[in-house]
Amino acid sequence: MINYNFQRNLGVDFIPDKNQDDHVEHIYRQKTDKRILKKNPWRDYRLHGTVLILVIIAELIGTIKIPLTKDVAITIMPLIYTIILGLVFYLAKPIKWIQRKQARIAEGAMMLFIGVLIAKLAVSSGQSIGLIFDMGPALILQELGHLATILVLPIALLLGFKKESIGMTNSIGREPNVAVVVDKYGFNSPESRGVFAIFIIGTVIGTIFISFLVTLSLSFLPLHPYAFAMASGVGSASMNAAAIGPTLAAFPGMETQIEAFAGFSNLLSFCVGIYIVIFVALPLTERLYNWLEPKIGRDSILPAKKEDD
Amino acid sequence: MPDLIDGSENVTVHGIFNWILLLIIFSVITVIGNFLGYKHPMTDSLIGMAILSLITLVGVWLERYLPLNVSSILYISIMGIVLAFPGMPTSDFVLYYVSKIELLSIVTVFLAYVGIGMGKSWDEFKALGWRAIVITVLVIAATYYGAAIVAHIVLVLTGVPAA
Repeated sequence: MINYNFQRNLGVDFIPDKNQDDHVEHIYRQKTDKRILKKNPWRDYRLHGTVLILVIIAELIGTIKIPLTKDVAITIMPLIYTIILGLVFYLAKPIKWIQRKQARIAEGAMMLFIGVLIAKLAVSSGQSIGLIFDMGPALILQELGHLATILVLPIALLLGFKKESIGMTNSIGREPNVAVVVDKYGFNSPESRGVFAIFIIGTVIGTIFISFLVTLSLSFLPLHPYAFAMASGVGSASMNAAAIGPTLAAFPGMETQIEAFAGFSNLLSFCVGIYIVIFVALPLTERLYNWLEPKIGRDSILPAKKEDD
Repeated sequence: MPDLIDGSENVTVHGIFNWILLLIIFSVITVIGNFLGYKHPMTDSLIGMAILSLITLVGVWLERYLPLNVSSILYISIMGIVLAFPGMPTSDFVLYYVSKIELLSIVTVFLAYVGIGMGKSWDEFKALGWRAIVITVLVIAATYYGAAIVAHIVLVLTGVPAA
């Protein structure tokens, strides 16, 4: 299992051993295919109609900024409304047309739609390849600094997480990372639940948390101003914006450079970051998990999962 | 060899037909959202979504047809990069139309499906609780400090003056 997954991460696993019954990635692919093939998912007008209404509501509300202090503002973007409204529509008792069946079709369809997201990111990568070469080693190498999230894995294990911790600590858990983890482990896997948890919590508290973090760090860490600028590109547009504010204020007269580095580093996180996650961070996190889990793992805090089908 | 890729025997014209219809639905919703949120002209962004959907379709198809156990993400990424590579004859066309689609528009629609699909796992989400919040905060801090410290070391080593 360990070996098998590790090979797959490198994309060189040609022949899965049939005796290993844990074809995680095939199970989800099969399920997805089954759902897409048998249920004529495009015919479920309740689901797609609801999504359309959610998107229209979300885009009409638009981005809301709630300023707390001069530099700190909570930014709520349309994508947060749709994920929360989608969940509310499923959970709300009076809404009878979004039920388990719709949720399962949404799940299957989602696997296909991840591709569109990845395609958009890939086009941006191709476009900026010249810039990536021009901007020097610091910008590219700092992307590897994001691997520091793996250091949180032991803490996650001590808190009682099992395989969720792989999804939680392989990266900052933003949209591209969610796509990568879901594609690799499947929607219903513990790893995906972990990355979704980080995504939702990060969406709600990430912006404000990173504002405070940056403000504090600027006053007690003697780092290069450009380093602060590059680090603010964590791979989330709203977190990037929240991190730049205090950095600009701390280094007056360097606004242009700081904005340039921060913007480009965020672009890099979105474009190159997913490849670091696929080829370095996930394999590393899995290996660390397999090594540490028997040593410091606690009893799972989650109830045993019921099989869905 | 027949079981190399599970489910591949299920992929028929009917299956591809389903994928195409789903991608059309997704594209239309995204274009409407893209218009409301960013005021990009609908025709241009429809062409942009058509390009992205085509890349997706080919990637998903390759994942199931090529005898390699490689995720469709990689096929899709490689196709996207190559099509947009500066100097490629396709790049101007692809960049112009794909730039009419905001990443956030795609994400907004995508997350509506995620939100509905997620409902099934809501109870487990609640079980994650405060521990997940602790981990999230630590993960964000680790990302930020990791990048800042590596960037600082490289900048000092390459002799970039601290202005």
